[in-house]
Amino acid sequence: MSSIFRDFLPWLQLLVRRRQRFLVGALLVWVTLIAGLALLGLSGWFITASALAGIALAMGMPARLDVYVPGGGIRFFALARTIARYIERLYNHNTVLTLLADLRYRVFGYLTRLDDARLHGKRASDWLSRLTADIDTLDNLYLRLLVPPLVTLLGVVAVSLFVAIWLPSVALLMAVTLGLLWLLVTLFAATWGFSQSYQQVVDQQSLRRLVVDQVQASAELMSYQTTQWHRMLIATQEQQAFGNQRRLGRKAALLNCLVSAVSGLMVLAVLWLASVIFSQQLVTGPIVVMAVLIALGVNEAFLTLPASFVKLGASYAAVRRLNEFTGDPPSAVSAVTLPNDVGLTIQANQLSLHYAQTLEPALSRIDFQLPAGKRAVITGNSGAGKSSLASVLVGRLRATQGEVMVGGVPAWQLSEESRAKHFAILTQQVDLFDASLAENLRIASPAASDNMLWDVLSDVVLDSWVEQLPKGLATAVGEKGQQLSGGQGRRLALARLMLCNPQLVILDEPFAGVDAKTAQHVAASLDKWLVNRTAIFFVHQISSLNLLPGVEYHWDLDAGKLSQCLSE
Amino acid sequence: MVTTDEALSLTPRSWLKSLARGERKRLLGSALCGVLVGSQTVVVVVGLAWLIDQLIVHDRLPIDLLPVFALLVGSVLLRAAFQWGHETLSLEASLRIRQRARAQLLDKLSALGPIWLTSQHSGSLASQVVEHIDTLEGYFARFYPQLRITLYLPLLIVAVVGWLDYLVALFLLLSAPLIPLFMALVGMGAERLNRDQFVAVSRLSAHFIDRVRGMTTLQLFGRTSAAQQDVWHATDSYRRLSMRTLRLAFLSSAVLEFFSSVAIAVVAMYVGFGLLGYIEYGPSSSLTLFSGLAVLLLAPEFFQPLRTLSQHYHDRAAALGAAESVVSILNQPALVSERDFIPPLLASSVIELTAVSVAYPVRGQVIGPIDLTIKRGEVVAISGASGSGKSTLLALLAGFIAPSSGEYRRQENSQYAWLDQQPCLLHGSLIDNLCLASPRATREEMVTALQRAGFGPLLTQLPDGLDTLIGERGVGLSGGQAQRLALARVYLSNAPLVLLDEPTASLDQETEQFVMSALLELAQEGRTLVIATHHPEVIAVAQRHFAFNKGELVEAIL
Repeated sequence: MSSIFRDFLPWLQLLVRRRQRFLVGALLVWVTLIAGLALLGLSGWFITASALAGIALAMGMPARLDVYVPGGGIRFFALARTIARYIERLYNHNTVLTLLADLRYRVFGYLTRLDDARLHGKRASDWLSRLTADIDTLDNLYLRLLVPPLVTLLGVVAVSLFVAIWLPSVALLMAVTLGLLWLLVTLFAATWGFSQSYQQVVDQQSLRRLVVDQVQASAELMSYQTTQWHRMLIATQEQQAFGNQRRLGRKAALLNCLVSAVSGLMVLAVLWLASVIFSQQLVTGPIVVMAVLIALGVNEAFLTLPASFVKLGASYAAVRRLNEFTGDPPSAVSAVTLPNDVGLTIQANQLSLHYAQTLEPALSRIDFQLPAGKRAVITGNSGAGKSSLASVLVGRLRATQGEVMVGGVPAWQLSEESRAKHFAILTQQVDLFDASLAENLRIASPAASDNMLWDVLSDVVLDSWVEQLPKGLATAVGEKGQQLSGGQGRRLALARLMLCNPQLVILDEPFAGVDAKTAQHVAASLDKWLVNRTAIFFVHQISSLNLLPGVEYHWDLDAGKLSQCLSE
Repeated sequence: MVTTDEALSLTPRSWLKSLARGERKRLLGSALCGVLVGSQTVVVVVGLAWLIDQLIVHDRLPIDLLPVFALLVGSVLLRAAFQWGHETLSLEASLRIRQRARAQLLDKLSALGPIWLTSQHSGSLASQVVEHIDTLEGYFARFYPQLRITLYLPLLIVAVVGWLDYLVALFLLLSAPLIPLFMALVGMGAERLNRDQFVAVSRLSAHFIDRVRGMTTLQLFGRTSAAQQDVWHATDSYRRLSMRTLRLAFLSSAVLEFFSSVAIAVVAMYVGFGLLGYIEYGPSSSLTLFSGLAVLLLAPEFFQPLRTLSQHYHDRAAALGAAESVVSILNQPALVSERDFIPPLLASSVIELTAVSVAYPVRGQVIGPIDLTIKRGEVVAISGASGSGKSTLLALLAGFIAPSSGEYRRQENSQYAWLDQQPCLLHGSLIDNLCLASPRATREEMVTALQRAGFGPLLTQLPDGLDTLIGERGVGLSGGQAQRLALARVYLSNAPLVLLDEPTASLDQETEQFVMSALLELAQEGRTLVIATHHPEVIAVAQRHFAFNKGELVEAIL
């Protein structure tokens, strides 16, 4: 239990920063609830008082009833409830969206500290697909699990105190019953449904994995004629998940059923007890009716609680997944920076990289030396370890054994700022953002003028294409750069790189998807730009070797082992 | 199973409707239970009003009214029981509907086949099959039954109120024509709100995910903190924008709230003044505390179903959103042939193609017409530049794509093995991955197949042997290791026909050599091999060699 609380704590602390909004929001909900109860109670009181006065008048007895104050009160509470509800919804929605901004800001902050292995490694697709849903779950915590129970509890207290003015024993009955009911629909519901609602999230993940398998292995499943076998696996998993959901749903239904029964019985009990007191002439009729109607109305505050609380486990699952990112603070005590305007040598001895959970090292015993200002090419098949080697060389991953020295400094100890300033890296998978061409380019250099942008675009032969676009530089590239072809995307990324002024450049497949003629032109621009910079090309195909300008060193990477090729 | 024509014309609404039809009884039962819950509420509040009248006005003792109390206790319990029925029935209906919808979608994915599936993002397909189908829950479990309840329960309540005091009933009935109006208002308001929110929220999430996905690039350019600010600002400006629309959108539900409050207030005033004798009109002179209290308590109940419905409105919007994306898949034309295979004319042939051509819906004719007969035990290599159509031909031979014209003959239900350059690993153990080729294979057979595929030394290193989890959630395998595992599947399956799509591309040299010798071994076993490749050594192994030249298949003389 305490460990569960500990997992929730960092996110609850985020709420503490907004506690004023939280309290005001809760107060507004409370006012709505109380205004509704007051409306019902006062109406009951007024009708009963009127009935009694009417009877007395009919019998010729003197009776007085001020109709204006209760009448005004009824109108007031009717309006107050409507207005409070409206304001409350607006206000709390605003809070939820404010929290969403806070939550995303914080989670993004955690993610900026992840290294390459986490960002692109195993299960990356898993967490990415759930990330926004998990944040939304946390966001909902406020409106589902924090405000309603608090308001209900405060409502019960207020109502009991109010009734206690005239009917202390009835108030006690209400306080005890509703207090127990509150415990039942919050703490008990949360505990009772916890493992199942947690399991629900786990089940959904398993089902998701099976479906991904079904999609990715569709060729194999179809040819081996085992589609039905795999569909059986999915069906079994689904049955299990549904069995679990059915149990959870029934628990929620049973709790709702209990709320309905207990609150109904309580109303009858209140009426019984109050009328016994009334028969002893210790209380007036209108008060009795008011108490009964308040008791009748208060159950509305309990209605949404069971369904929200049985699902606490699902929120917990979301919290645990998000906590995985907070678990590893930046390990580097990096304060190392590189000197400016010095050519950077790269040196690596007996470098090995072993990812967790793999049998063979991704890189093994690599020796590598590149003098400042020289250019090298490393060839290798996909999966040979090129991306890993690139990450290790610039210190984005720390080698399991051995160390990379860049400009005489251990690469992995460099600060991120220093790395960004001195290195430029074209990754194998180009990231373009859902923004305009200009904004995508200015990621490299926010202050770059339009002229500079056009210069680099002409370097990669994209200028004439951009010119004929109706929106020019303001053209949106679409999500993941979908509006661009693969080759255009790579060239745009290359242009982006050329806005920087790095001393070390690493280019992973710079010409992939680029036609030969264009590639020639781009290679010429690269040649100019790379002067006095240390550069490493990673390429898949030998055929692009002759495109690479001024390369003096050639290595080949095969299954994580690097071997020098003789320069031709 | 829906026929193709019907499937093509599906809309989100018609699909949801057809799903609901499958569980009509449960959904109706749930709505009926809901109406019964409401009717018991009527009994309880009317009973309460009568009791209060007897106790307060007629000065009767509670003990004398014990039977009525007992009756109401029974009614309260009955109401709780109906509540249970209402919820469990709709829960069950929603579970079954989702199961059916998911099966329908998975069937469709099979009919679309590997060619279509590889052009899609598997993660987003999985979202549709898993999350989007689950999104239907709220619609069927809550909104759909509640809509039925909203149609009938208010009528019942108005009838009871009319029996008690026809003026109040008239007042409610006068607002009754307003109810459809307000339903439409709330509906439109809520629908527009939900649609806008749905779109805006998903756009915002996409913005966030876009930044997360590009984290490496942001890190490389040292722009992470700027992007973090950007994320906050994007969400916050969305907040400010949406607050502006919400101010209006929430009005529709406020109106509903207002009506229910005003109903209480109006009825209370009317009843109060009537009881005091200030109103001398119609039934008001015959008002008692009983009838007055009863109509007071029934007035808000009249509006309650509508209020509940408006609370569930977002379930509908979410379901429609999800249905739209699912239906877009269901409406895709199937690529895989739905007809049975015609057996070959010659007993010695494995596959016969006569004037077969393949056309993708968008790109027009891709390959063909092709005449090709592959005989038992042959090793056939198919070469050609990338994009020339050799993968398409292989997909055609495998049945992943139906020919658009010509005749394709193959033994029915004949298993064949498939190996491509990116072997697929299932999330699961080695056993699961081998079962893919032969679900009934024994452990011994599996070990033998793995050893033949050169996976033997690795197997001894694995912590749990055959039960070791591999892939994303377990031990990571290199590309070469994965290809050996895929080869083990081929050995395990004993399939007489083996189709290979660039099996040696992107392998390290050692594995490449191994796969080459394995291919020879398979040929010696008497299996029929069709290999799409550009690798000269592989072509040298083949008995027949076809090359694609401008979309035409030409046999090279060896």
